[in-house]
Amino acid sequence: MRDDLDKRIAEARTLSIVGMCKNAGKTTVLNWLLNRSRDRVLGLTSIGRDGESVDVVTGTEKPGIFIPEGTLIATAKDMLSLCDITQEIVCTTGIPTPLGEVVLVRAKSAGNVQLAGPSITSQLKTVSGLFFSLGADQTIIDGALGRKSLGARTVAENVILCTGASYDMRMEKVVQDTANVFRLLNLKKAETPPEESEKPLKELLRESGEALIPGALTDTAILPLLKSGALRNARLVVKDPSKVLLSPDTLEKLSVRGVSLETVDAAKTLCVTVNPVSAYGWKFDPDAFLRAMEAAVTVPVINVKEALS
Amino acid sequence: MISIRFEDRVSIGLQYVLDSLHACSPFGQERVRRLRFYAPEERAALLTELGNTARAAKEAQTQKSLYEKIMLVLCQLKDIRGSLSRLFEGVCLDHVELFELKGFLLRIEELLPLFDRMNEAVRIEGMAFSDPSEALKILDPEHTRSRGFYIPDGASEPLRAIRREKKQLEQRLYEAETVAEKDALKAERTRVCAEEESEERAIRKAMCLALLPYVSAMQADADAAGRLDFLIQKALFGVRYGGVLPELTDTALELTDMINPELCDLLKEKGRAFVPVSIAADRGATVITGANMGGKSVAMKTVALNALLMQAGFLVCAKRARLPMFHCVKLLFDDLQSMQSGLSGFGSEIVRFSEALDEAEQGYSLLLIDELARGTNPDEGARIVQAVTRYLNGANAISILATHYDGVAELARAHYQIIGLKDVDPDAIKAELSGAERDGVAVIARHMNYGLYRVEGRADCPKDALNILRMLSLKPEILERIERSYDTEKS
Repeated sequence: MRDDLDKRIAEARTLSIVGMCKNAGKTTVLNWLLNRSRDRVLGLTSIGRDGESVDVVTGTEKPGIFIPEGTLIATAKDMLSLCDITQEIVCTTGIPTPLGEVVLVRAKSAGNVQLAGPSITSQLKTVSGLFFSLGADQTIIDGALGRKSLGARTVAENVILCTGASYDMRMEKVVQDTANVFRLLNLKKAETPPEESEKPLKELLRESGEALIPGALTDTAILPLLKSGALRNARLVVKDPSKVLLSPDTLEKLSVRGVSLETVDAAKTLCVTVNPVSAYGWKFDPDAFLRAMEAAVTVPVINVKEALS
Repeated sequence: MISIRFEDRVSIGLQYVLDSLHACSPFGQERVRRLRFYAPEERAALLTELGNTARAAKEAQTQKSLYEKIMLVLCQLKDIRGSLSRLFEGVCLDHVELFELKGFLLRIEELLPLFDRMNEAVRIEGMAFSDPSEALKILDPEHTRSRGFYIPDGASEPLRAIRREKKQLEQRLYEAETVAEKDALKAERTRVCAEEESEERAIRKAMCLALLPYVSAMQADADAAGRLDFLIQKALFGVRYGGVLPELTDTALELTDMINPELCDLLKEKGRAFVPVSIAADRGATVITGANMGGKSVAMKTVALNALLMQAGFLVCAKRARLPMFHCVKLLFDDLQSMQSGLSGFGSEIVRFSEALDEAEQGYSLLLIDELARGTNPDEGARIVQAVTRYLNGANAISILATHYDGVAELARAHYQIIGLKDVDPDAIKAELSGAERDGVAVIARHMNYGLYRVEGRADCPKDALNILRMLSLKPEILERIERSYDTEKS
């Protein structure tokens, strides 16, 4: 399974690392990815700011991002003085951030970097395109946290989902919520999305049994339809998984009624990583956590503390 | 000095012209945004610029691909003027700033041969770029001509040694097994990184010092790039609208078959064509009279537009143009803004008129006045406009007034009338109106001749209003009464 995973990670053109919470082990995963394939050129950026050695939100120590020689990074200009790589400035992007313009830098030596990339999807796509034109084999995006991570799949076609004890004290809650995000991230891609229509949802479903939801998909919209039976064996298509605001319970009901939930922008989740140690003091039993998580998802699960360090 | 309010730029169609330009570089864009008019004392400079524009426009077709190549290079220029002034102040520039400077110099190096080729074809006077190769030697010492900026190991001996050590440490760190070993190596590495940083800083400082003598040349190149950019845009504009090189006169203005690009495009969309307007005027008052809906304002706005274009170094949108340079151009058009200022329409009009007069008296000016005193009673209005016309005859300005009032035209130095419906057979229009066509305004617009003709001798304002009333099918009872009143006047 690990060999297969390694192959799939290596083949991914764009890869986004998203976390359920802070201290889920995103940076550990990132460092592992960066240093596992030293002969390939990687392009690295982040959504917003990351890479500081002390977490500015929780105040806990966290690992820095250490990149090998040859890596391309996209980061805000003011972050460059905090990087200790030997820098070659490759191009400027004109993308503004509060920390200055986003600049593309080639690492002429290995070293620590601080990332503060673009925060808008379209800009991330621009940066990713620049990486490839400069000869990168793979773009890695240090992605967002929690719900926001659901938008990650519009940028990258592959996702690594990181979760950990820091998310909640109750292991069941961590596993359940992670599985829920996983399910949304992995919604089936709509090969033939239904056409957009002005008609009420109920009418549409009765006519064709499928509908494109232009905005968010919420419990208040779905529950009455479920009760009326209009949704039986129907097909619902959303723009991207971040538009699904359904409770886990409703999601479950949908799957029982044979409703197929699909998305226009789709990506694959390659694996889930778990960090059994919380930044706030508590720990889960590593094996129990790993097994519970494995049972809840359909992709490999990796313990960052053991397998990657 | 000429300064035109934004509202007036929009109303005469100057903003439309500026918006149609696509300057490529930040320097060119700035020239368009902050359009500058040549002052009368810069006559020689304006002549040079106009000559350049005319020659560039003439070759625009044959040199199309060359112009496109130049524009492509100009597009890649970044505004480095901030870094240049920091450099001049003795600030040590960071990596990204040096990267931008190098990029700028590389683009100039790329531009040079293209500019030379254009210069050969077009003969651009008073524009030159300096050779960036000496400055590039500082920022690209190994002559890689790569787009990136990097301080090479060979920049100094200490740097070479530091980088070698850094690399060795990284290899050892990669191979290290115990945490203690790694920590020791990391601490060592931190020290080396700090050394590298300070050595690089010293090298950047030296680079900045070495660049200092080239700062003014780079500033001049940025300026020249902006001028070249703007010149190409002006030339392409001239080609689009059939611009002509104007002849500079001392006082006389003569525009033959001029057009207004904005209205041209607007009418073209509707399947109609702009009727070119010709007018000649000299110091003193020129009066335009004519039918309502006849385009008096359009004629005046087009004069203003073309005079301003010329004075900004553009070709003039006309078949033939003879123009003087103006100290200022004043537009007194009916506009909402001034009416909202608290004064009545009439009050604010008079205030603006006196202000304009004060300014116009500072030097040879162009005054365009649309229906002065239109809001007051016709008897008083006519007296006001007659007095103003007499006064303007003696003023050091070309004044063009549009008016409805009788007894004004004969006081002016010249009198133009809108051709209007003069040559149209009223029966033809009546026939059209009684047919399928119900939209009277459209019928009138179709038959209206917006051209101007010069009236010799005495002539009252044309009475096209009555014709228009007929066409717009005003109640017959009212029409009859109006017609009867004309008849009694005649007898």
